[in-house]
Formats: sequence, structure tokens, C-alpha cells
Amino acid sequence: MDTAEALILARAQFGLNIGFHILFPSLTIALGWILLYFRIRYARSGDPAWLATYKLWTKVFALSFAMGVVSGITMSFQFGTNWPGYMQRVGNIAGPLLAYEVLTAFFLEATFLGVMLFGMNRVPGWVHVFSSAMVAVGTTISAFWILALNSWMHTPAGHVMDGSQIIAGEWLQVIFNPSFPYRFTHMLLASGLTASFVVAGLSAWRLLRAGEDASARNTLRTGLVLAAVLAPLQILAGDLHGLNTLEHQPAKIAAIEAIWKTGKSVPLVLFAVPDDEKRRNDFAIEIPKGASLVLRHDGEAELQGIDAFVPDAAPVAPVFFAFRVMVGMGVLMLLAAWSGVWATRRGMLPQRWMLWTFSGFTFAGWIATLAGWLVTEIGRQPWLVTGILRTRDAVGGVSGAQLGASLTGYIITYTVMLIAYLVVLTHLAGKGADA
Amino acid sequence: MSLDLPLVFAALMGLAILMYVVLDGYDLGVGMLMPAASADEQELMVASIGPFWDANETWLVLGVGILLVAFPAAHGLVLGALYLPVAAMLVGLMLRGVAFEFRVKAEGWHRGLWNWLFWFGSFLASFAQGLMLGRYVTGFHPGFGYTLFAMLVGASLCGGYVLLGATWLILKTEGELQKKALAWARWGLLWVALGVALVSLATPLVSHTVQAKWFDFPRTLALMLLPIATVAAGWRVWAATGRLKRGEREFDWMPLAATVAIFTLAFAGLAYSLFPYVVIDRMTIREAAAHPSALKFMLVGVAIVFPFLVAYTVFAYRVFRGKARAGLYE
Repeated sequence: MDTAEALILARAQFGLNIGFHILFPSLTIALGWILLYFRIRYARSGDPAWLATYKLWTKVFALSFAMGVVSGITMSFQFGTNWPGYMQRVGNIAGPLLAYEVLTAFFLEATFLGVMLFGMNRVPGWVHVFSSAMVAVGTTISAFWILALNSWMHTPAGHVMDGSQIIAGEWLQVIFNPSFPYRFTHMLLASGLTASFVVAGLSAWRLLRAGEDASARNTLRTGLVLAAVLAPLQILAGDLHGLNTLEHQPAKIAAIEAIWKTGKSVPLVLFAVPDDEKRRNDFAIEIPKGASLVLRHDGEAELQGIDAFVPDAAPVAPVFFAFRVMVGMGVLMLLAAWSGVWATRRGMLPQRWMLWTFSGFTFAGWIATLAGWLVTEIGRQPWLVTGILRTRDAVGGVSGAQLGASLTGYIITYTVMLIAYLVVLTHLAGKGADA
Repeated sequence: MSLDLPLVFAALMGLAILMYVVLDGYDLGVGMLMPAASADEQELMVASIGPFWDANETWLVLGVGILLVAFPAAHGLVLGALYLPVAAMLVGLMLRGVAFEFRVKAEGWHRGLWNWLFWFGSFLASFAQGLMLGRYVTGFHPGFGYTLFAMLVGASLCGGYVLLGATWLILKTEGELQKKALAWARWGLLWVALGVALVSLATPLVSHTVQAKWFDFPRTLALMLLPIATVAAGWRVWAATGRLKRGEREFDWMPLAATVAIFTLAFAGLAYSLFPYVVIDRMTIREAAAHPSALKFMLVGVAIVFPFLVAYTVFAYRVFRGKARAGLYE
């Protein structure tokens, strides 16, 4: 078998699956809590408008959750089939963390989702509120375990060798490894922003399509206010996460900032076209001493460049660009949310062009999340588990032909699913909460 | 006292797989029966599985999860050998999972399309699982005969899931639809008989180890209780559906209970054949097991979580007990 070909196909397939999958949890983790808020508003007020709101967003949630579940089942198989070397080398760490996710989160959210969706008339009100809460708790617990594992792959800690096997020495250190608190916070806030822009965007769409609608005005305001609060918090959390990365994964920072050579007084590259072949930046626009100042809070400070990590350095161009997409989207989302909160103050209805803007921002969170995910995962290359396992050593087993055939099947299935999802979402939002 | 960890996890994995087969089996079966029902009946059928299918599929994640984390070496071997049927099953499960959500929101020909995809996904996933079972019990031997055998097992498992689905509908519906389900159940039962017979004959023929385990007097006499009980359970399904059809006294849960008994007995027989192998004649559970430190850590989680899991699963089934009603989101 051609290993290089199998490696590319295995990565393409896994990247496609996980990239598709991440869209839905990144929405449902926070949407679960927003739903709980709607549900409690209804429980306390008895206002049918809140009930209608809750039911509409329950449908959006159910749809997104189903997309996440089915693509997640695929992932649980691909860990083993696409990366057999991964389980061989670090299975004693990764396995239990995944098992805990299934045990503590998946059953909880799936079971209570049934009660939440179909049980409103069958259980007392408080049991239904409790079920909604359990769904939200379940999605968050799920994020906890998967990010513990993902963070451990970036910044491994707490493991020891037993013969040739890597095992956990101290589970608490494995779970709460150095990058975990930052990554977990960053992801939860990303989910909050993704969900609040989906809520605001679809509500704006509803107002554009059907005119006045009290429920859509409520949810537009809810989404915008939530986004306006979370966006600055996210910028702060992202900055702290970056400093944590500088400490534990300096190679990733070198790629993000396109720093090729180790040196003092390193400029901040605002824009450039990094050339991975020649190891230099073309068309660079730089702020002198900027990178040293931002990352070390000292304009003269030394920063490590790509040259310090070769041959174990990440490709610079994709990481560099993805990072700028993420930050750019973040800034745009902040501006949109703040101007939106201003435009909806004291129950005002925004101008039509603003509603169009919010509609356009519906999936802004997805773009930022995917870009951020590319930054962190490509920035870790060539390592799968930093310092322990290289990606190319984890691939194997399945032939290129089988990977190619199944990849084609997945691409077709995912395309159909995504189109259907977007059509149904637009349709649901257009019909509004009363339908 | 020290626990035999690989044995404990083999038992847990077996339990998870059996739970998956029975639970997702009935909702896959209902999916496969969709084309045989009228539009109104389809709504009732979907309503009967709506609150459960998500959690049912989670048992698959748990089963595969235990295989992956407790027996990593076997996971690579088994899923590597079954790569394409696994991919087909996943595509099937994805299609039916989202079709379930989409069909409710769709109108006109869109709904027809999603209904079709719901049926197709259910069928593809069931057939692929049967194919995997057929390949697995014959030790992944290549060759036309083995492929044909696996395809027969695939068809039989579809029949088995139809039986589960139909008996589930007997419990959850009434009137005309229940009558139809009684007829569907009997068709499914014939396929189950074929599947159980096929696997029971094939495993001892393929493996001398299995043969030696079953044909070893006087143990054989005690072991014969298993097939006898299976036949008795099959007869119970046939008789109960007959009584319900004629409107005589019978519990509406009896066909489902007897069907679950068939699946449990067949599963027990298979487990007895295989043990202590996780891949027949090639790899035992001990050879495949993960490091004891990983298994111990997981066992703590299982011990803490399992009672809660059972409790809220029972809670959910109690909430939705009784006959299914249309109007899913009301």
C-alpha cells in the first residue's frame, strides 16, 4: 500500500468528518442552555409567546442534535479505523476519556432529549424543565471530556511509561492538562457565540420574511445581547489561550505569526503571503517589534521562529491564514453584536439593511469555529500527540481504495445532509414560531 | 480479591451490543416496515419510536467504544476487516437519523423522499450489520461461499429487526395497524429461524474450537437447553400473534418479550461459542485487552454511572408507556 496516499486520504476523510461534525455540537452546546432559558421564561410567565419560541427553537435543536449524533457515531468508528496507531500508542489515555464521554454525557442527553421533545404533555412542568436542563448539562459534559482529550493531545501531561505502553500516572493531571482550561473556555464561548448568532440571524430572517412578530423580536434581542456580552469575553479568552500556547506549543505560535527566524524585536505580521518552500513572507505588512510586544509584553524580547523547530514545524500558510480568518470574524461579530444591541434598544426594530446583516451573520460562528479549529489542529502538525506520536505513524491498515470509496460516500451523504439542514432551517425560521 | 478485568469488560461489551441489537433493532425494523403502511399509520409508527431512537443508537457507540478502549487490538482487526460494511452501516444510520427529523418538517414530494431515505437508511444499516455478523462468525475468511453466507445473514438480520419492529408495534399500536403488525411479525419470524439456523450450523463448521465446545458429551445435553429454549420462544411468538389475530386473550407485550428472548438466547449461544476469543480462533480477550490502569479507571466510571443510566432509561420508557399517539411535537 502507498502510505503517503493512505495518509492523505485518511486525513482528508477524518478532517471532513470532524469538520462536519463540529458544526453541530458547536451550535447545540450553547443552544441547549438558551432553550432552557426560554423554557424557564415560559414556566415563570405562562406566556404562550415564550412557549411558541421554545417550541420553534426545540425543533432547530433537535435537527442539529440529530446531525451531531449521526456524524459523531461515524467518528467513534474512525478513531480506530483511520488511526490504528493512535489507539495502539495512547489508547490507554484516549480510550477512558472517550468512554467517560459516552457514559456520562451521551446517554444523558439522548434520553432526556426524548422527554424534552415529546414529553411536554406527559410529565409535570418541573420534570420537563429538569429534562431540558439535563440536555444542556449533557452537551456541556460531552464538551468537557472531548476537550480534555483534545487538549491532552496538544499538551500531554500526567502520563507515565509502563514498559512500551503509555499509561496514565495521574488522571487529574491528564484531564486538567495545561491547555485544557483555556481550550474548554474558548470552545464554550465559541459555542455561545455560534448559537447566539444563529438565534439572532434566523430571527432577523423571520422579521424580514413575515414582518412584525413579537416572538422573533424577543429572540433577536436575546441573541444579540448574548453575543454582545460573549464576544469581548471570547477575545480575552482567546488572548489568554494564545499566551498559554506560546508557553507550551511555541511552534504553533511561530506558524500563526509567520515568524521564520528566531530573534529579538520580532515584528508583528499583519498580512503576508507565507511561502513554506522558501521559508519567507511575501508582500508582508508588519508592525516593528509588534510580535515581541504582544506576546512577551516587551518590544525587545526574543521569540522562537520556525527554524527552531524544523523538521517538526507546522505548515505556516494554512495556520497563518486560518488564524486571520478567525480573528477577523471575531472582530466583525463583535461589531455586529454591539451595533445590534444599540439598534434594538428600548424595543426598537432595526432597519431592514441591519436585519439583512444579521441574517448574513447567521453562520458567522461556524466560520470562526472552523478557522480556529484549523489553526489549532494544523498548528500541532506534524504531531498527533505533541512530542509522543506523529500523525504519519498513526495511519495504517485500510487501503487507499477503501478509503477513497468510503470518502466518496461520506462526501455525498454530508452534502445532501447539509443542504437539507439549511433548507429546513430557513423554512422553519420563515414560518416563524406560530406555525 | 482481584477482578478479572478483561472478563468484566467482555461481559459489559456483550451487554452493550445485545442492548443495541434489541433496542435499535426495533426502531430499525419499524423503519423498514414504513413502505408497507399507509400515510397515517406511518405517523403513528414514527411517533412510537420518536422519543427513543437517539438513546437506542447510543448503545452502539458504547459497544464500539468498549471494543475500542478495552480491546484496542481487536478493534483494529475487526473494524479493519469490516471497513466497507461499517462505512455502509454508518451512511445508513446517518440517512435514517436525519430523515427522521427532516420528514416531519417536509411537505409534498419532499416528505416522500425523506420517507424513502428513512426506509433505505434503516435497511442499509440493518443489512450491513447482518453482513458484519456473517463475516465475523466465519472469521473473515475470503471467498465467494463466505460472502454469500454473509449476505444471507444480512437478509436474516433484516428479518430479525422486522420481527422486533413488528412486535414493538403490536405493543405500541392498536386496531388496523396492530393487525398488520401481527402479519409482519410472522414473516420476520421465518427469517429469524433461517438466520439462527445458519449461524448455528456455520460456526461449528468453520471452527473446530466451537465444534468441540458444543459436541462434547455429556455437556452437550445441558447445552441443548439453549436451542430448545430458542425454539420454544419462537413458538411463543407464533402462538401469541395467532391468539392476538383471532382476538383471543393475550398480552400485547408477549410477542415482543418472546422475541427479545430469542435474541438473548441466540446471543448467549454465540457468546458461548466465541469465548474466550474476541476474534474467532485468532485473538482472545486477554490478548486484546488494554492496560489494567485504563480498564480500572473506566470501571469506576461504569460503576458510578450505570445505576443512573438504568434509572433514567426506565424513567423515559415509563413516561412514554402505553399506545403511541400521532402529533409528535405536540
